[in-house]
This record gives sequence, C-alpha cells and structure tokens, in this order.
Amino acid sequence: MLRRNFIRLLSQGVLGSALLPELAFGNHPADKRRLQFVFAQVKYRGGDWNPHPLSVTPLMEELMLRTSVEAATVRHEVSLTDRDLFNYPFLYLTGKYEFDPFSQEEIDILRRFLTYGGFMLIDDALGQQGYGFDKAVRREMLRVFPGNELKRLPAGHAALRSYYLLRRVGGVRIVSPALDGITIGNSTPVVYCQNGLCAAWERDQVGKWTNACTPGGEPQRRDAFHLGINLILYAMTENYKDDLIHVPFIRKRLTR
Amino acid sequence: MNDLYLIGSLPGWLVALIGVAAAALLLQQFIGLKKRLPAGQSSFLTALRALVYGVLIFFLLGPALIEKRVTKLRRPLTVLIDGSQSMGFPASSRSAPGDKNAKSRIDLVREKLTAGADQTLLQKLTRDYDLKLVRLGTSLEPISSASLAGLKPQDPGTRLLELLQTAARDNTAPAAGIVVFSDGITNGDKKSLEGGPVLNVPVFAVGVGEAEGFIDVRFAKVGAPEFAFRGREFKIDLTIQASGMKGKSVPLFFNRGKNIITTRTVAVDADPFEQKIALSFTPKDLGTHGFSVTLPAQAGEQITQNNSKEFKVEVQRDKIRILTLSGSPAWNYRFLRMAMKQDPLIELISFVFLRTPTDTVDVPESQLSLIPFPIDDIFLEELKNFDVIFFDDFSHRAYFNPSYLERVRDFVRDGGGLAMLGGPRSFDAGGYGESALNEALPVELDGKGNYQAPATLNVALTAAGKAHPITRLLPDPKANEEAWSKMPALTGMNQVRAARGETLIASTGEGGGAPLLTIGRFGKGRTLALMSDDAWRWNFIAVGNKESPQNHLKLVRQAARWLAQEPSFEQVQLRPIAAAQPGEKTQIKLKVLKDDFTPTRQATVQLRVFSPEGEPTVVAAAADSEEGEYTGEFIPTKEGTHRVEAEASLGGKVLGKDRGSFTVAFAYGETDDGLPRLDLLKQIAETSKGEYFSINDWNDKALERIAAKLESIAPSQLVERRQTRLWSTLWPFAIVLALLSVEWWMRRKWGLI
Repeated sequence: MLRRNFIRLLSQGVLGSALLPELAFGNHPADKRRLQFVFAQVKYRGGDWNPHPLSVTPLMEELMLRTSVEAATVRHEVSLTDRDLFNYPFLYLTGKYEFDPFSQEEIDILRRFLTYGGFMLIDDALGQQGYGFDKAVRREMLRVFPGNELKRLPAGHAALRSYYLLRRVGGVRIVSPALDGITIGNSTPVVYCQNGLCAAWERDQVGKWTNACTPGGEPQRRDAFHLGINLILYAMTENYKDDLIHVPFIRKRLTR
Repeated sequence: MNDLYLIGSLPGWLVALIGVAAAALLLQQFIGLKKRLPAGQSSFLTALRALVYGVLIFFLLGPALIEKRVTKLRRPLTVLIDGSQSMGFPASSRSAPGDKNAKSRIDLVREKLTAGADQTLLQKLTRDYDLKLVRLGTSLEPISSASLAGLKPQDPGTRLLELLQTAARDNTAPAAGIVVFSDGITNGDKKSLEGGPVLNVPVFAVGVGEAEGFIDVRFAKVGAPEFAFRGREFKIDLTIQASGMKGKSVPLFFNRGKNIITTRTVAVDADPFEQKIALSFTPKDLGTHGFSVTLPAQAGEQITQNNSKEFKVEVQRDKIRILTLSGSPAWNYRFLRMAMKQDPLIELISFVFLRTPTDTVDVPESQLSLIPFPIDDIFLEELKNFDVIFFDDFSHRAYFNPSYLERVRDFVRDGGGLAMLGGPRSFDAGGYGESALNEALPVELDGKGNYQAPATLNVALTAAGKAHPITRLLPDPKANEEAWSKMPALTGMNQVRAARGETLIASTGEGGGAPLLTIGRFGKGRTLALMSDDAWRWNFIAVGNKESPQNHLKLVRQAARWLAQEPSFEQVQLRPIAAAQPGEKTQIKLKVLKDDFTPTRQATVQLRVFSPEGEPTVVAAAADSEEGEYTGEFIPTKEGTHRVEAEASLGGKVLGKDRGSFTVAFAYGETDDGLPRLDLLKQIAETSKGEYFSINDWNDKALERIAAKLESIAPSQLVERRQTRLWSTLWPFAIVLALLSVEWWMRRKWGLI
C-alpha cells in the first residue's frame, strides 16, 4: 500500500475512529447539528485529487478554536456531479498533477455553482507554475468562465482581511506572494493559491506536522492557517469586511 | 340757433354767367323802357326786374338754414382700487418701521378719493362720469362708494395686468377710461406688458407708495424640495433681493425648528440687489420637518413679513435601512446578505460575530480585522435610524446586557420591524424566552424550545400564507403554491410553543404543522419569526436542482419590505395629494385592501385632515367605482402643510392606517415684495394713451387733465344739425311772383300793356 493510500484510510476513520472518535462521528459532515461549515473537497479524474489527506482536520480545529464557526472537523469528499454538491457551498480543489479535463456537465455545474453563491479554493500542492496541476486548473477555469482567467488579487482584497489582516500568503513553499482569483461583479468565487496550503496544514495522527514550511518555517505555516481561515470566512461572509463600517477600523490597524 | 348756408350744387362760374346774362337783359330792358317812359319810371321797373333776377340767382346758390343742437354725454369711467394685501404696506417710505399709525397705501387712496371742501373727488367723479367703482385683487369685485371706507387690503394676490384687460373689454358697459389706484405690484400670470395685447381704453394710473428710499431685504424665491430622502443631502435655493441697502451686510439664518443649522452673511453691494444662495441639509430622521430661513429686520425696513420663509420637507427613506446581527458566519448570512445587497431599495448594515468570547487568537488584536461591536451606538443612538433589525441566529447573552433588548422592543413598538431567524443561538436556545423581546415576537416562547436538526423538513403554505405578500412569490396563486411545494427541504428548526401571530409557512410530514414562518404586529411595528437557519437552502439547493434562486431572494426582499411597512405592502395606501389653494376643493384618494390583500368596497374609511395648527377635520370618504378605491373631499381654508390620517376597518377590525400630507398655498406671494412698481404703472398709462399720476398729485387738476384727455380722444358733446333748404319752400316763388305782379301792375298803369 502506498503511503498516501494508507494515510487516506486513516482519514476515513479506519484507524482514526478508535483514536479520535469525536472527529470521526461526533463532528462528521453527515451530522449537521449546529454545523455551519463543512469543508468539501472535490474529487476528479486523473492526477491526484488528494495529495494531503490529513490536511483538513487541523485547519478545521484551528477554525473552531479561533472563530465562532462550528465546523465539521472531517472533510466531505464530493464529485462535481454528486447530487448533494450544492449542500456544500465551499469547495476545495487541490492536486499535484495535471488532471483529466472536466466533462461538459461538470463544467456547467461548476459554473452554476460559482455564479450563484458558491466558493472554490484551489490549492496547488506541487507549486510548479505552468505545469501539472497549475496548467490543468488554469485550463479548466477558462472553460468555466471563458474570457475571465485567473488574475492576481489586490493586496487589499476582502479575502485577505475577512478575519486576520494578512500581509503575506503562507503555504508549504512560497511560489507566489499573492493569490490569484476570478472576480465576478463584487464577488470573487474562485481563489487560487499556489503555495501548497494543504501541505502546510497537514499533521499526522500523533500531531506532528507532516511537511516543513520553507523558507519561513512555522510563521509561514501560521500564515497558511490564517489564510485558510480567512478564505472560509470570506466564503461565508463575502465582502462583509468591505462594508463601510469596517473600513476606518481596518485602515487604522493596517497603518500601525 | 339757425345759420344760413349756401349749399347749392351749381358751379360758381355758371351762376356768374347767369348773373352776367341777367345784367345784360336788365340793361337791354332799361334802354327799351327809357324810349317809352321817363327815366325815373324806367329805373323803377328795371330795379323791380333786377330784384326778381337777384332772388332767382340767390336761390340758384342753394340757400339753406342749418339748426345746431348740442347734447353733452356722461362718459362711463371705471375706477379700480387695488385691494390686495400689499396695499396694507406703509404708503410712505419715511414711515417709522413698525409704526402702527403709519398710513397704509389703501388708507392714502381712501383719503385722496374722499378729499375736497364742498365735494369730494369721488363725488366729482360720480357727478361727471357714469362711474363704476371696482375692487381689484385676484378678481374684480364691484363696490359702492359707501363701502370704500371699509375696504381692506386682503386680497392674496394682484392680477393687475390680466384684470385691466378684463375691465377694458367689459362688453356690458364699455368704459371710456379706467382709473386705477395701485402700488403696481402684480403677481398674476403676467408680470409685464411685453407680449400682451394693447389696452384699448386709456388707463389713468395713480401710483401709490414710494419706491424712492424704500428699504427692504427679502426672500424673492425659496426653492426647497417637498420630499427628501433620509441620509441624502438636499439643497435649498434662495434668491435674496434688497432695496436701499447698498453697503450693508445682512446675516442669514437657516433653522430646523428652533435650532440653527447654519448661518451666512449676505453682503449687499448694489441697489437694487439680488443674490442666489444655495444651502444644503442632510436629514437623519424620517417624518415631516419644519425649516425656516430668516433675515433679521434691518434698520429702516418697513416690511418684515418677507424677511422669513418657512417650509416643510417630508423626509422619506430612499432605502430600507436594515441592521443584521449574525451570531456567526454562516451560509444563511451569506445568502441573506446576497438578497439584500443586490436589492437597490435596501441599505444593509451587518454585524457578524466572527469570534465568541471563548475563542482564542494567536495574534495581537491589531492583526485582526475584528471591530468592537458598538453596542451603545447601535442600541442607544442609531437604532431609530434603522427600519428593520434582523437577529440572525444571534444570542445577546454573550455580548451585551439584556436591558438593551428593551430598546429593541421599544423600537418595534414605535414602528420598527424585527425579524428573528432561527438557529442554535435563537429563540429559546438563545435565551429570548426570558428577555424583553419575548412579548414582541410573533411566537410564544416558554424557555423549553430546542433547536433541532431533522433529516428533512418540508414546508407548505398555510391559508394565510397563500394570500400574504411576503410569501407570494408568483402572482398566480396556483403557480405560487407549486413554487412553494418545490422548495428544497430544510434541515434545521427551532421549536416554539405556539404562534402568536399569523403563520404563513408550516412544516409538513411527520410531526408537521409546526409554525415555520410567522408574522405579527407589536405596537406600531411588525415582527417576523423564521424558525430555521436553513433558508439559504431555498436558494442554493434550488440552484443545484436547476431551479431559480429568485424565490429565496424574493422572499427575503418581500419580508424586508413588509417589515419596513413599505406603502406598496400596506392594506391602506393614501395616494399622493396634489398641492391646493385655500378655498379650492382637494381630493384625497386611498386604496384599501383586505387581509388577503384583495381590494374591498365594504371597508369603513375614516379620513382626518389636520390643519397647520393641528385642528382635525373629519372627512367622509366614499367608495369609488373602482374596487378598493375611496375618495374624500376637503376644502382647506388656510395656507400651510396639512396632515392626513386615514384608517380603514372591515367588520370592526382595523385593516390599516396611512398618513400623508399636502401643501396649501396661494400661488401669488403678495407680501413677498413690497416695493411699489410705479414704473409698470407708468408703462400701462403710456401704452394705453392714458396718463400717470402720483397719488400726491391726485386733485382737481388731475380730474381736469383726465377730462381733457378723454375729450381729446372722444368729445363728450354731441352736435345735432337740422337743415332747411330755402328753395324747397314757397317763399322764393311768392317773392318772385309778388315782384313780377308789381311790375305788371306798374306797366299797366303806365300804359305799357
């Protein structure tokens, strides 16, 4: 068994249920008591849709520790054609390698999903611009939104101030100091990070970080968590932090 | 008296020729007679014949007697006396300001007309002319000489130019001339003579008032909107005019009620002076607000009525201001925000509690975007400026003292809207069962209700929900019901003891029938309870099912409008009332809908109109031919803003109320400008071929000049001529016959025959 598959089994609760029962059941996506947020990860054909299977739980724990959001600590895996896709307005798409093109049905569903209020965080686990996952993502997003390609988001974007006032984009490695995204009107339903967030979030079953963050080390990892939390809150509150009532406070803090 | 005239039609040369011929005949006769008679007898007979010829030649010249009979006529003369309010201003610009004994313009007219030792000028006019005395203002009103003493300057306007034309064209008794006593202030449709028809009757204008030395500063124009939107600046355009005040500075005060909003200084640098000034104000509160602009009375200023102008502005909301308090980031907030933010009628201020007091952060506060929740600002200051407040899965317990909820309750009682959306922090789960808000909610809380998460929770419209505008997603009732039946199932629900208000949506299936969406009224306000935090699924899951998200968006927007008591969602809707003039019939129209929002003709409608002083008048309203439409008629008697309150009830139950207002004002602005327009009077006199007199020159000489002028235009004496042609009588023939008979008799005596 490949190491990756072994870890995947762990994440699905084969072993984890004994070790961490609460993670497996008490706070499972299927149990929606008081759960406002479920981290739904997109499965796709080709490539590797699940390069860091243990990455989500640390992020969810961090999310609940730092914010008022009640979240499922275990991710929900979903295909674009699943009937319950729209139960999960937040989608996470990651991978290392180039993947098969989405079917036209998948493209249509994704377009509808993102146009009417859904959000998708794309995370390049490989970090090679113009190659592998990056190449496939840019190709597919152009199919979803023809003529509206992924572009660099401004430093003052609401996603970078939805909870933490972020000046840096973290990740397991720093491929790009900024985020890319697709903006429609006032909303940015697609945010793309090329720094490998999932690798920075991932922790093994005994709580050790799986991957070292370079070159920034732990502060860089912390930035990755902060970015993850910010993006989840951005998805759930949209441009809330751009509301006029917040602007003077944020401006004052950023100028300190 | 008869005069002799020669009116013969024969040419003179012919008569002269006949005369020469006659002379020749006489000469021949004399020579013939002298041969037979002595010289004396010959001469006598020739003289007799010469007389005959002379008489005949005289009659050839056409002698006639013309008798002249002279008849003197009494000319019709119309005397117009300006009885408008401006004639109450002091006649002299030298009168002390505020001097109540100062002679008014109309006093002076009265004095001048009744002056005179033996006979007053009015009596002389009455003697010499067929006099018609008329009061001039907004209309012409004949008055008697006796009523002149009691004539008061009370007309609200002066339609001088229009009424002069009317008087000049009076077909029943055409005037030979018009005498008008006026200060020349005119404020009808026509303000100058330009472009108007020429007066066909001479006008003798008698100017009253003094333009020289007239000191006045006034608001010539105040342009203020009748309506303004809360939070949006509106402008007031002022035109200030001044006379006799060059070199002075005048303060200008802009007040709301008794509070000064702003002051300006107007530097008067010309005479006459005019300056346009723009003021602005941003209203924060809804309702009718009274504003005024004032120029303090200046030294020497006699007319101070025009130094101040009051106006009312009805402040409305251009948007429904909604405050949402969300207990945490959630999809329900995300889609609620989407519905509100995309609605141009809604202004959303939202607070999402991103962090609870038990959450810890790993960075200094300065690296967080969180702002402190301004509890005092919101609940003590700003709450009144919102129309609706949404508690979205929000519990006050961790954030502020429950006493603030009393403010929210009072806000609803005073007319605000309150919506409580479900979730684990809401209703009983949020501790509202014991709070001050409990009595305002449209559901009963007993402290035991939990938040539950059944697998699926289907919903259905109740009978009330089928008709209510909040849940009417489609106009067709059947299509609406079908749309609701297709709504995605929910997965979370708050239990409540019972509905206190009207339930529009209830759960169905196992354990069904529980109220899910309930509405109610509390005091003047409205409340809504949605016992679920899953309404976002009606949007996004519907999108996934390839249905439209519009049903959810529409539901949210309609709920916001209903809570904010938007007029289009009211059962009693007063139509806008047009501005009116005192004494003019004003129609007040309204629409009445039943509880199921269908129009009704059976409602009892009560209309109350409040005068500017607040005196109420009950106005009867009757149903129109169109279903649901009612009309009442009211005749205002005073200028100012009138308030209207309408209430409709059906079967003893009040269907609703509405309020409105309308302005009543004369269209003239008679007392706005007291400066006499003597130049206009001169123009009128000149163009009509009359004459201008100052009131100070109104005396016997003025009457003589008027008489002379009228005489020059059309003499007052009528001469009748009677002609008697002498040759048409027997006298010429008798004379000739007599002369010839004498001649015949003499000839016979003297033996010639």
